[in-house]
Amino acid sequence: MEQEKKLTEQESLHLITMMINKAKESYHDTGIGAIMWGAVIAICSLVRLSEVHFGYKLPFDIYLLTLVAIIPQIFISIKEKKERKIKSYDDPYLDYIWLGFGICIFLLIYITNNIFGEWGSWANEYKNITGKTASFRFSEYVAPLFLMLYGLPTFITGSACKFKPMLWGGIFCWICCIVAIYTSVKIDLLLTAASAIFAWLVPGVIMEKEYRMYKKEQAQLNV
Amino acid sequence: MFKDLDPILHSQLRLAVMSLLISVKEAEFTFLKEKTNATAGNLSVQIQKLKEVGYIDVIKQFKDNYPQTICKVTSIGIKAFEEYVKNLQVYLTQK
Repeated sequence: MEQEKKLTEQESLHLITMMINKAKESYHDTGIGAIMWGAVIAICSLVRLSEVHFGYKLPFDIYLLTLVAIIPQIFISIKEKKERKIKSYDDPYLDYIWLGFGICIFLLIYITNNIFGEWGSWANEYKNITGKTASFRFSEYVAPLFLMLYGLPTFITGSACKFKPMLWGGIFCWICCIVAIYTSVKIDLLLTAASAIFAWLVPGVIMEKEYRMYKKEQAQLNV
Repeated sequence: MFKDLDPILHSQLRLAVMSLLISVKEAEFTFLKEKTNATAGNLSVQIQKLKEVGYIDVIKQFKDNYPQTICKVTSIGIKAFEEYVKNLQVYLTQK
């Protein structure tokens, strides 16, 4: 590009539009983080579903896999940040939203575990006194709480990045949240797995494909 | 009455750089070079001109032992760019 070429007004406007579009097209997430979390949550939910359905118990809590997944996520984030040649205005906000989401998830696990503890002893006492099992089961209301949280950062990221698969994924989580209020634990686990697949795994695969195509185009341009 | 277009911005490469920087918070020199298809030397000169008038900030640092140049548009630059686009629209609508 020559710097001193005399521009007409139309050419100037065209150049501005072209460059703004080029900058917009350069926002490409690798999608690896989304793929990993989509797969991890789907696997955890499906394994828990098989435990409930077939009546067996693994020697460890399958959801501990989410803690293990934090380690590769840290490496993925550092690598993506290093490779990024531009910073958008949304970047820090989205980082804080996902960090806040992670904190909320762990707080929610802590809260629900405490309620389970309290509820368990109360239900036992109820059974001892009345001889009947309590009809209210708190476990049936845990999944909607998580699904509600899953939808929030997904929906915000999808709208901020104008990435429709993630935006619809967020909405899907909230639909599953409403449905899960009225369904059994088994269906709740299925809905959680489906939400993880549609909100993160599928958008992640699309992102990864787009990222690879962008990289290929860039490589061809640089030849 | 037509206002004169800002001569600093009314140049192909400088306008391209400003248009790229206006859309992002900050960008590496290599990104600007890649998107404008300009030579490193030419781009450096134009970036320096934009820096001298206060339209952009240039940060030079090291990343993994390699020098890295980061550019970001300033508030003066944003105002100048907005004014330039406004004047451009006046030209186009009144022609």
